[in-house]
Amino acid sequence: MVGTVEIELAAKPVRPHPARMRALRILLLLCLVDPGRSLAQESSLEDPSPHSEAVLLAETLSIRPGEPFSVGLHLTLEPGWHSYWKNPGDSGEPISIAWRLPDGYRAGDIEWPVPEAIPFPPLVSYGYFDEVLLPVEITPPPGLAPGDTVVLEGRADWLVCIEDGFPAEARLELSLPVSRAPPSRDPSSAFLFQSAREQLPEPDSGWASFARANERFLGLKIDPPDELEPALEPGAASARFFASENDVIDHAAEQRPDWDGGTLVIRLARSGFARGTPDTLRGVLVLGRRPDGRATRAFEIAAPVIVAGSPQDPAPAGAPPVSGGGGLGLSLLFAFLGGILLNLMPCVFPVLSLKVLGFVEHADAESGGAARQGAAFGAGVVASFWVLGALLLALRAAGEGVGWGFQLQSPLFVGSMAVLFFVLGLALLGALEIGSSLTRLGGRDPARGTAGAGGLGRSFFSGVLATGVATPCTAPFMGAALGWAILQPPLETMVVFTALGAGMALPYVVLSLSPGLIGRLPAPGRWMETLKQLLAFPLFATVVWLAWVFGLQTGVDGLTGLLIALLLVGLLVWTMHWRRGIGRRAGAKVAAGLAALAIAALAAVTLLRASRLSPAGEPVEGANSSPNLASDRDSVDWVEWSPRAESEIRDAGRPLLVDFTAAWCLSCQVNERLVLSTAEVGQAFEEHGVALLKADWTRRDPEITRALAELGRNSVPVYALHPPGGGDPVLLPSVLTKEIVLEALETHVPIASR
Amino acid sequence: MHRSRHLLVLAALSAAALASAPRLMGQGAVPTIGAPAPAFTLVDTYGNEHSLADFRGDWVVLEWLNYGCPYVKKHYNSGNMQGLQEAYSAKGVKWLAIVSSAPGKQGYYEPAEMNEMNEKMGQKSLAVLLDPEGTVGRMYNAQTTPQMVIIDPEGTLLYNGAIDDKPSSRPESLEGAHNYLSAGLDEAMAGQPVSVPTTKPYGCSVKYPG
Repeated sequence: MVGTVEIELAAKPVRPHPARMRALRILLLLCLVDPGRSLAQESSLEDPSPHSEAVLLAETLSIRPGEPFSVGLHLTLEPGWHSYWKNPGDSGEPISIAWRLPDGYRAGDIEWPVPEAIPFPPLVSYGYFDEVLLPVEITPPPGLAPGDTVVLEGRADWLVCIEDGFPAEARLELSLPVSRAPPSRDPSSAFLFQSAREQLPEPDSGWASFARANERFLGLKIDPPDELEPALEPGAASARFFASENDVIDHAAEQRPDWDGGTLVIRLARSGFARGTPDTLRGVLVLGRRPDGRATRAFEIAAPVIVAGSPQDPAPAGAPPVSGGGGLGLSLLFAFLGGILLNLMPCVFPVLSLKVLGFVEHADAESGGAARQGAAFGAGVVASFWVLGALLLALRAAGEGVGWGFQLQSPLFVGSMAVLFFVLGLALLGALEIGSSLTRLGGRDPARGTAGAGGLGRSFFSGVLATGVATPCTAPFMGAALGWAILQPPLETMVVFTALGAGMALPYVVLSLSPGLIGRLPAPGRWMETLKQLLAFPLFATVVWLAWVFGLQTGVDGLTGLLIALLLVGLLVWTMHWRRGIGRRAGAKVAAGLAALAIAALAAVTLLRASRLSPAGEPVEGANSSPNLASDRDSVDWVEWSPRAESEIRDAGRPLLVDFTAAWCLSCQVNERLVLSTAEVGQAFEEHGVALLKADWTRRDPEITRALAELGRNSVPVYALHPPGGGDPVLLPSVLTKEIVLEALETHVPIASR
Repeated sequence: MHRSRHLLVLAALSAAALASAPRLMGQGAVPTIGAPAPAFTLVDTYGNEHSLADFRGDWVVLEWLNYGCPYVKKHYNSGNMQGLQEAYSAKGVKWLAIVSSAPGKQGYYEPAEMNEMNEKMGQKSLAVLLDPEGTVGRMYNAQTTPQMVIIDPEGTLLYNGAIDDKPSSRPESLEGAHNYLSAGLDEAMAGQPVSVPTTKPYGCSVKYPG
């Protein structure tokens, strides 16, 4: 059954019921016994306890040496007035006792009977009406002499409120004789103690319970033993959780208890004033209320809190389920498929086209050589994935919020890649012999005419390179596999990374192992030289893209630094070229070599310094907000994501699309340009009333990493569509089309929902 | 097959969520720390309008005020609040006290009476703003008096929460209390991030209408 059960606020501030009538009778009695303490008197500045009285009562008529006994603070309130539980809720202050006990006496904590939830929209308080007895256990020292009388003293402080609150206090004093005889109950307090004990929550039973936390909710899941289920079921629909701590849950938020086949799930909105996530959710669960406001059953709860998406998260059970994931088998399959598809992603293409050329060149060589090259390339790819996986695990272990593509969050890495691609491009143009070894990625050395051992090393290196440039891309299937893998023990993570590498290397390894296939490739010839030169341009395009990412990360000064570094690299390449052309003049050669070294050093320093810059100096909207790096600033509708922005929109019940993106993520950029920022899709967003948030992962951001983890992901792009009314998010595919987005909107966000 | 079932379940969930959506609305959403503080315009006890936007370029403190509340009295009778108002006003902070009590409820005074109260209590804020509808109070999720807010010169919300860490109305609780407001202001004005950007406010409930 899908649906929710409304929870009824059990108490109204003023409502005559038997307990209150009883309180009145007690008040009348008090007036008769002690007119000086009458509650009927007008509250004045002099009255230390307006609208209420507190006295200390003993449960027994005497005490025994060393034997714990109970006393109780008995608080009576005028009708309609209330005082507060240990967590007062949104306002107020708990009742407290400051003891002044004789030496050797120990007072335990107040045992709190179940409170009522007292609404003052938009706030809620937790407390008591009419009267309450708060039992406290006192342990006397063992060396008491029978026949003596002990005097227990203290001061009670409380706040008495109707809507306005008044502080109140009372001096407490209680005399009790010490006796060797077993203490007998004081008949005058027996009823109060008994009734208070009935309203104490039953101790934490150790039932299977946990609370699953995401940014906005704590999903408390409780699984009582089977034999208790029939007794609990009637009260489950009106269950309410009272948190012990003040800043953990939003006291006024609806709790939506859901009893499903013997398991109770209560969704608790987290407090907007919370600082961090508690390790344990403590409080009292109340199941059912009698007409007089007293609880039918109540239990202490101490549920371990599991952060959604953390390693302890027992799969998406209980609260917010997330799509994707699956077990090891499925993740391996997805990783393998994703690896194969990675070859088709735009960032890998230029490097891999070189690889294909290498095979073409091998067509005339012995096939065993090709097989060895293919194996070396595969090894390079897989080894690089291992390095990536190991790095990721190490950084995770060190507590860093990182994920797939994390190295591109480092400007230095992006800048170095730009320089590398620039050099590769220059080399492909063929004008520069010094770059020739780089052009033969995985190919043979034309100078030697054979695929030598050096060729194997180059094949390996081209595998490494291909992996390096592949990281900005997330191919279809990969997201789910990586999201699962990153949360597993190291071995499983590495196995999934291996599958990813194996998938990526597969086409080349198969090609290299099949002489027949290689034979079908066109024969080498002049076309190859032309193609190589043409391939320089995708590489330069990649440089432009990397420079753009670098610029977003470091600002215009940083970008200029990178361009200067590229200029210096050009000069370096030219110097090396010139050095070759000057023949055997040793002095000039040394000078040119030194100059080349100096230029290289200068380029490196320039790049290093540029990568340390940040765009902070540039005008940014909002002082604390980081610039929206990945967006083109093209559409005004997208708002920068933050956990709070998201929870506000979802609290308001609005549908929401969160675009997890990064400037270095090419798939993200393609999706944004071709789909999300088109007029057609934009209009659909507007029609369906979808709020749009953009979570920019261009630079490292633990909050975004955490949000991704909650969705079971560890990579971008992720498109999380939250249906209206706070349902669970739907994840759109990582390669978007307009049709996919429009269909998802039709399905999950009915237009009428606005 | 599996997919279509998945979609069905999702559709059903959406429908259920939709049905309960109105109940979710209007619940105390908390303004986002680090985001622009919600804009408002209120009239002070002298009839002058003040907009948050007027204070662009200045540090701003918002204080939720209710002279009838014992927790507020703790901070005023001891001179603690006025001391903070004076000290930070001297550093250029624009301190605005806001009264979100509804007419007829505790802490609400007609402007003239409020001026008398301010005089009597030694109020040192720049202005006491009247929010009888509770609009601005709800905007900032003001739950209690006192409740304190820090806004930076760019208009960014930096702190929202309790004035200090002693949730008591007893004057002696001031001794040894850690003042979140002054700690946050000192950090922020020194160019550092506010280390405790939110705490659960304590005190009397804000006396909203209704």
